[in-house]
Amino acid sequence: MNIMSIMNTMRIRIVIAAVCLTLACLQPALAQRGLKDIPAPDPAAELAAMQVADGYEVNLFAADPLITKPLQMNFDPQGRLWVSSSSVYPQIRPGEVANDTVTILEDRDGDGQADASTVFADGLLMPTAVLPGDGGVYVANSTEFLHLSDTDGDGKADTRRVVLSGFGTEDTHHIIHTFRWGPDARLYFNQSIYIHSHVETPRGVRRLNAGGIWRFAPESLALDVFARGWVNTWGHAFDRWGRSLVTDGAGGEGIYYGFPGAAYQTAAGTPRILHGMNPGSPKYCGLEIVDGRHLPDDAQGQLITNDFRANRVCRFRLTEKGSGFASERLPELIHSQRVTFRPIDVKMGPDGAIYIADWYNPIIQHGEVDFRDDRRDRTHGRIWRVTAKGRPALPRIDFTKLSTPELLGHLKSPESYARDMAKRVLFARGSAAVVPELATWLKSLDSLDPDFERLRLEALRLRQGLDRGSQSDVDAGLLKAVLASPDARARAAAARIVCDWADRLESPVELLAPAVDDPSGLVRLEGVRALATLGGRRAAELALHAVDHERDDALDYAVWLAARETKDAWLPAVLDGTFTDDGRFGRVIFAVAAAEASAAVPRIVASLQDGKKDGKTDGKISDADRPAALSAIAKLGNPDQLRVVFDVVTNPATSPAQATVLLGDLLDSHKRRHVAPTGDVAAIEKLVMSPDDACATRAIEATAAWHVTAASEELAGIAESASRSAAVRNAAIAALGGLPGDPPRAALLKFCTAPENDDGFKAAAIAALVPRSVADAAAQAVAFLGTARDAKARTVVFQAFLKAKDGAATLAAAFERAPSPLPADAAKDGQQAVSASGRQEPALTQALAAALARGSAGTPQAAASAHAMSAAELDAFVSLVRDKADATRGAAIYARENLKCVACHRIGAEGGKVGPNLTAIGASSPLDYVIDSLLYPAKNVKEGYNTVVVQTDDGQVLTGIQVTRSDAELVLRDATGKEVKIPTDDIDEESVGTSLMPAGLIDSLSREELADLVRYLSGLGK
Amino acid sequence: MPVSHTRSSCGVCPLLLATFLAATAAGASPAAAEPPAPAVSSSAGSASTSGASWSLRDGDRVVFLGDTFVEREGDRGFIETALVAAHPEASLTFRNLGWSGDTVWAESRGVFDQPAKGYERMLALVRELKPTIVFVAYGRNESYQGEAGLAAFRTQLEKLCDDLRTAAAAGAAHESVKPADVRLVLVTPHHFETADAAARNVALSIYSQSIRDVATAKQAGLVDLFAQLPTTAAPGQKLSENGVHLSNAGYAQAARVFAAASGHESSADFAARSDTLRKQVVAKNTLFFHRWRPANETYIFLFRKHEQGNNAVEIPQFDPLVETAEQKVRSLAKGAR
Repeated sequence: MNIMSIMNTMRIRIVIAAVCLTLACLQPALAQRGLKDIPAPDPAAELAAMQVADGYEVNLFAADPLITKPLQMNFDPQGRLWVSSSSVYPQIRPGEVANDTVTILEDRDGDGQADASTVFADGLLMPTAVLPGDGGVYVANSTEFLHLSDTDGDGKADTRRVVLSGFGTEDTHHIIHTFRWGPDARLYFNQSIYIHSHVETPRGVRRLNAGGIWRFAPESLALDVFARGWVNTWGHAFDRWGRSLVTDGAGGEGIYYGFPGAAYQTAAGTPRILHGMNPGSPKYCGLEIVDGRHLPDDAQGQLITNDFRANRVCRFRLTEKGSGFASERLPELIHSQRVTFRPIDVKMGPDGAIYIADWYNPIIQHGEVDFRDDRRDRTHGRIWRVTAKGRPALPRIDFTKLSTPELLGHLKSPESYARDMAKRVLFARGSAAVVPELATWLKSLDSLDPDFERLRLEALRLRQGLDRGSQSDVDAGLLKAVLASPDARARAAAARIVCDWADRLESPVELLAPAVDDPSGLVRLEGVRALATLGGRRAAELALHAVDHERDDALDYAVWLAARETKDAWLPAVLDGTFTDDGRFGRVIFAVAAAEASAAVPRIVASLQDGKKDGKTDGKISDADRPAALSAIAKLGNPDQLRVVFDVVTNPATSPAQATVLLGDLLDSHKRRHVAPTGDVAAIEKLVMSPDDACATRAIEATAAWHVTAASEELAGIAESASRSAAVRNAAIAALGGLPGDPPRAALLKFCTAPENDDGFKAAAIAALVPRSVADAAAQAVAFLGTARDAKARTVVFQAFLKAKDGAATLAAAFERAPSPLPADAAKDGQQAVSASGRQEPALTQALAAALARGSAGTPQAAASAHAMSAAELDAFVSLVRDKADATRGAAIYARENLKCVACHRIGAEGGKVGPNLTAIGASSPLDYVIDSLLYPAKNVKEGYNTVVVQTDDGQVLTGIQVTRSDAELVLRDATGKEVKIPTDDIDEESVGTSLMPAGLIDSLSREELADLVRYLSGLGK
Repeated sequence: MPVSHTRSSCGVCPLLLATFLAATAAGASPAAAEPPAPAVSSSAGSASTSGASWSLRDGDRVVFLGDTFVEREGDRGFIETALVAAHPEASLTFRNLGWSGDTVWAESRGVFDQPAKGYERMLALVRELKPTIVFVAYGRNESYQGEAGLAAFRTQLEKLCDDLRTAAAAGAAHESVKPADVRLVLVTPHHFETADAAARNVALSIYSQSIRDVATAKQAGLVDLFAQLPTTAAPGQKLSENGVHLSNAGYAQAARVFAAASGHESSADFAARSDTLRKQVVAKNTLFFHRWRPANETYIFLFRKHEQGNNAVEIPQFDPLVETAEQKVRSLAKGAR
């Protein structure tokens, strides 16, 4: 995916908002100020402070000086542990020579403690990953992906090869990381959200902007993107069937399922994303699936990851569900009260124990805490070893010393460690040495063995890895056998392998045909993705078979993506009537909608009108397909085609529910594509009077969008009708704002001033006037704000002006001219609204400050928090929170409506999605970070929650958090939680704002109440 | 370069005179607007009959601009070392602005913005660095577009030439410096050695020809790696590590082509011989890399600078370190000579 080409086509100008410039002048970040009591670096005391799950115990495997600050660790087939470490992180100092290291740890006597440490390589710059392989070790070195090897056998690297380069370093905890060998003998590695990488490979330039997982074949240097998105993809593990599980150090959705083409949260250039399985989770780093004879039965297959912020090692259990998994969080494996315990990586070891790399640092992150903060630890580090009590350690094996049949035997091992290491050695031995032995081994397998299907898949995996490095024929017979396996997990894995072997198979597409109609969603998903990768018309037609079957979100996404990727292959066939749909026209409808193939809309229209989808077949569109067909036409059609939908909408036989959906689609098309049904649309007036609120609301919106001026009187009547719901009445007022002509204007002006109307009604009328005439509206607003008592209504008025180009400035000018000053309450509402817009509106800000200054006897109130504290005051406040505050009272304060916490933030299943999920905020964030974020919302904006401010061609100014962005459309979530779709073509200017959270929300709280609130928040997730 | 007429004296040759000599030597009139006829001679330099001649002068500020070829040269230092060694008495500075995967559209330089913004930033940096001579090495990544992309490439390369001259002149201390005074040297990409090299090199050849044509049209110098770097190395002696990027041996060869083009063939092998000098060049480039492409840009300069923008003060602290390192390069070059 080349986002650059997408961005090239975007008529946007990214401007770093002046907001950021001003904020840069604030004092340096003082986060984690509460952190004063830094414990002495004593491993024994750290161990003592660990609460370990029943049945487990922990011992120190290695600590400084054997290692320094560990970033990633991986074992090699000899059982040695390779650790990459960085003292340079987070930023090289001027004059400092980068001298970070890769170290090898060995436990030669097998007592569970490292007794030898060798610095294999130094001179590195923040080596965020290390992975043994191919006669040396792969290392992430900031912009570079290196291979280091020791050719003279002295235990030190003497050969340094830059394998790939061009990886971004815009944030050093985002640089490439998490190296892991995949089941396909490819090397998988990740980059995080702020990274932009541009890598020249022998097959062309590969670019990846934002987060994602790369997939690399060392022998051919083929590099591609496996899946995209995520914020900090710091964990990736494969289950025994080769399926990808992923963790995110900021995404907050726990365990994610990865498959080829999957796109999550931050993926650039896609209008659709997937979600993790545990929403409301803290940040996780590292991931390992644990198994083996040393661990108790209930641990088998558990996922272990690290919540380094909360100093704990966490566990999850997966169960198969639909095309993927469900994930359940289990009690922690380790929890420490020591702030220095920072588990960041986890691996199964050669003795069956679980190894945990501990970054050991009171300070985490470098966005919140100064690069040069002297509490930042730069020398210590630990590797902990977790064992099951009373269970013997496994004998250690040097896999490099085993014969090929012995290695093959280890594929039966219950330990993933042994299977993985045996495969590494087998791959290294090469095709000629292994393939004949493999054939013998395969024949020796007992088909009644419960593990038979997995073992046969292992054999196929071996062939996959071995054959890629050689020119030999692939084993098509074995592939076909696994494709027909009774185990769905084997069939799914084999479907992906078809792609790898496509150029050496006779008819790879036909091999995949059964997969898309497989009874298992898992297999259908892999089949669809494989077919989309192969491409071509037949592959596209087959992939769309999945439309016939049930689809969960991941599977629906997979088919949606396939339809888009293969559009050029299937669309001509649909257009010329040769597309093979086996009488299931739903496939075509799905594909047309997914790929936004408007050229094919006439075929869908025809299928509706004469019951024939083309001249060659006479299949009538099924009733089940009708809604999707109409929606597709409404979303993609031209005015004549939209008319078809309009006639259905206004047909009395159509249910209000369906009319509502279709009107929504029609309105969407009007907004996105500026098209409306052709002909007279006055018939929509009938629906305006619908007793169904949702239907009436949509119809009212349509009168405004389509300029049905005749509806003006009716709308005014609805607006004033006490018998209609508030939603319908508000829609009518808003519609009057959009309807041209004088009668609607006159009606609105009347609403603004009529004394019998309440504040909310008047505010809605003023807001509706804004898009008609900012000046008109401003005059009304000044009068209204001078007397209105309803704070919510006042906020509605400010928000309306902030949404219009020049709205804020015009309102400010009107305040200047006003005979009497704006009341202080109203001015404060205005300040909050400006703050929540994520923008600076200097004129309005000044006017509001002036009003406040006049209102409070000459003491101008700064926009800064009423609770601003000096360092000493903060210390006292932190003590207050710790010693006296009450979380129960804090919970009640959190729930207060005027604080609006619940409206925007989610805790568990409750609350809005505008701001970050707070379910685990206490576990993941230090106390002073919580305080800081309440006092100065714009100071530490969580990754992914910076606002985007967009000015559209028609003069609207929209602010929100980006949900998705594609070449066609930007979707923002605004401060009310509503998703706003903005066609890229309509974007005039775009800038980066700060936070949507208004400053001063907590000003109304007493110091004690604030302490209670902080106490409540800081306990969440602990 | 043709006939090596500039070898001894061109350190002081005005650019236009050099152009005249080059064109004359190639048998074309100085005003010829058409590309020169394809070279038929098999002697070294035969294909680089387009573009103006170039050489380095005392006081030159050199900027290298391009893709991975340029970026990795910064870490290897062969070409720069050869050029430094060729001018032991001259005071030269070299600033490497290579960026992996880049194109004439600055496709790798957008960071959080679109490439056009990265292009502007690159020009702003050139203005700041005030180069007197800029080496421009593009064409490889663009060549994947084949014939279809050629016209757009050429148009953009010409624009890049103009923009670089304007930016460099605007940055110059003396108002009398005009864009035309800023020398450009275009560099053609060396051959692919990949499995599909035959097809790839066909595309590369038309892009290389385009670069030669632009060099002529823009009165820029030329280093013709496509024509002059040996393409049929002995078996097992490939010039590249992976079919695309030069090995140390490849860079040493490329350095020879650069040195010869500047009229200093005799110093060509210097980089390979003087490892001390080359390592110092690399050390200087590493410092400059941290100066112009610092890590953590997001926090130091961009939209999260409200968090760590205070650490931006450290970045210019690399400037004196770069200067000191470069002085050391010069004294090593002088001493070694």
